[in-house]
Amino acid sequence: MRSDYKIILDLISENSKVLDIGCSDGELISLLADKNISAQGVEINQERVISCLGKGLDVIHGDINLMVEDFPHNQFDYCILTQTIQAVQKPDVLLNTLKKVGKNIIVSFNNSARLSKVVKFLLSGSFDSLLKKSDSDQWYNTDYIHPCSIKDFKKLTLDLDLRIIDTYDVINQKKFTNDKIPSNLFCKEVLFHLTND
Amino acid sequence: MREITENKEYPGYLLKCNEHLKLDSGKSISNFQIAYQTYGKLNEKKDNAILICHALTGDQFPAEESPITKKNGWWDLMVGPDRPIDTNKYFVICSNVLGGCVGTTGPNDINPETSKIYGLDFPTITIRDMVRVQKILIDELKIIKLVSVIGGSMGAMQVLQWAATYPESVKSIISVAGSLKHSAQNIAFDEAGRQSIMLDPKWHNGQYLDKDDKPENGLSVARMIAHITYLSEKAFQNKFGRNLQEKKDLSFGFGIDFQVESYLRYQGRSFVDRFDANSYLYMTRAMDYFDVSEDIQKNKEEIINNEVRFLVLSFTSDWLFPTKESKEIVSLLNSIGSNVSFAEVVSDRGHDSFLLDEPQFFRVSEGFLKGIK
Repeated sequence: MRSDYKIILDLISENSKVLDIGCSDGELISLLADKNISAQGVEINQERVISCLGKGLDVIHGDINLMVEDFPHNQFDYCILTQTIQAVQKPDVLLNTLKKVGKNIIVSFNNSARLSKVVKFLLSGSFDSLLKKSDSDQWYNTDYIHPCSIKDFKKLTLDLDLRIIDTYDVINQKKFTNDKIPSNLFCKEVLFHLTND
Repeated sequence: MREITENKEYPGYLLKCNEHLKLDSGKSISNFQIAYQTYGKLNEKKDNAILICHALTGDQFPAEESPITKKNGWWDLMVGPDRPIDTNKYFVICSNVLGGCVGTTGPNDINPETSKIYGLDFPTITIRDMVRVQKILIDELKIIKLVSVIGGSMGAMQVLQWAATYPESVKSIISVAGSLKHSAQNIAFDEAGRQSIMLDPKWHNGQYLDKDDKPENGLSVARMIAHITYLSEKAFQNKFGRNLQEKKDLSFGFGIDFQVESYLRYQGRSFVDRFDANSYLYMTRAMDYFDVSEDIQKNKEEIINNEVRFLVLSFTSDWLFPTKESKEIVSLLNSIGSNVSFAEVVSDRGHDSFLLDEPQFFRVSEGFLKGIK
């Protein structure tokens, strides 16, 4: 199981209502359903939508950049955005919408400012290390259009008036206990638990 | 008293109901009958049944060869052995709607109270009335819960009404190219079609059968107007362009110059042979009156408690029931907290896509049905 999913499964209590944005073939929704958590997915790729449907999962086909506004307000306990925010056209607009749709927002992403990446960038002189998500990606055709750091994301939550409940180091499956640890330099993957109140 | 017999006029069955049925209009009908056809086998537990709801000009013959057109049934690609709605697995029921002209009681039947043809004395019916009658049929077949109710266009309206009115009787529904309510533009097209029929002198105020006459021109033009709305600009362009019909030069007259004119006239003419003008009036009216939003709101708890699962489908080039309107269905269903899925299928063939060979559409539907437990 993906490490960020483990944290999410521990975090969300039974009988919650969850919206998983960019749900792929529904792995997380299935896991949540096993825990008696009702989850709905949003997915742009039709093949993955079909795969979700075949598993009996609820999924909305569409581009999250265009459609999250279709969701009624205050409908979900959690909106989840795992490994997706860097591919969103306007992360601030999306988060602002999610703030209205759900009480809690969970966001996980790879920290683009971690030392190993920065060093690679400096040595290679190429943005590939920051922008490439897979080998077929190039800087000019990648979906990974908004690389961001933990520091960047924290600033965004302030700008959007979102309160951080907890921050997790996904690889080590640990909460950050205080801000003094230079997580921005060393943490590979981070998960934020935010709330709109 | 209710009785199921074989249908002597068409293949399939008749459910004859000797009772009063109160309609939305406040009027009622008595001694009505429902013509229906079934495919596949009902299992012992009677829990493998799917109800198909037909569109405006459809009938109870979605699968196999249609006895009406002698061509493949209107949803032959969707319903049959090893098709998305697999009749090896499911027992598929399809009935002609109330007000229709293929066996179910409609304006051209005899009014038992006057012993004359109803004509315009037939009460105005609604989509909800159509569904009431379908529920009677399902009850008579002793089916407690349908696996799914599935339909496109006017069929989608019935499907949504099923979930709203009888959520305890359906596990799921699939709404294809539908909407919560008929839009102003769609009412406008319907009205143009109706005026075309009613302004035909051969309509005789709806009593044309008494005069052994038929408003063929009016019905044919109504069909031509409607047919344009079923296609897309691109579909017309791809199919016909500005090609001339069996000629090299323009005629400088008002005969058929372009292929598209020939095609439309053919669509109109052939429709007259298989459809009835008064039924067309009644059914388009039922669509105009349709607005299921309130019923869904009113019954939201039952919909949630019964865990009805919804699949809403639309096609990118459909401008009669555009994706926007399917998304309104999804939005309403989300706001009541129900289990809803949605997919938009890429197709440039307009509203009619739901009747055509659209593999993505079939795969989505099949996938969803597979997930219904």
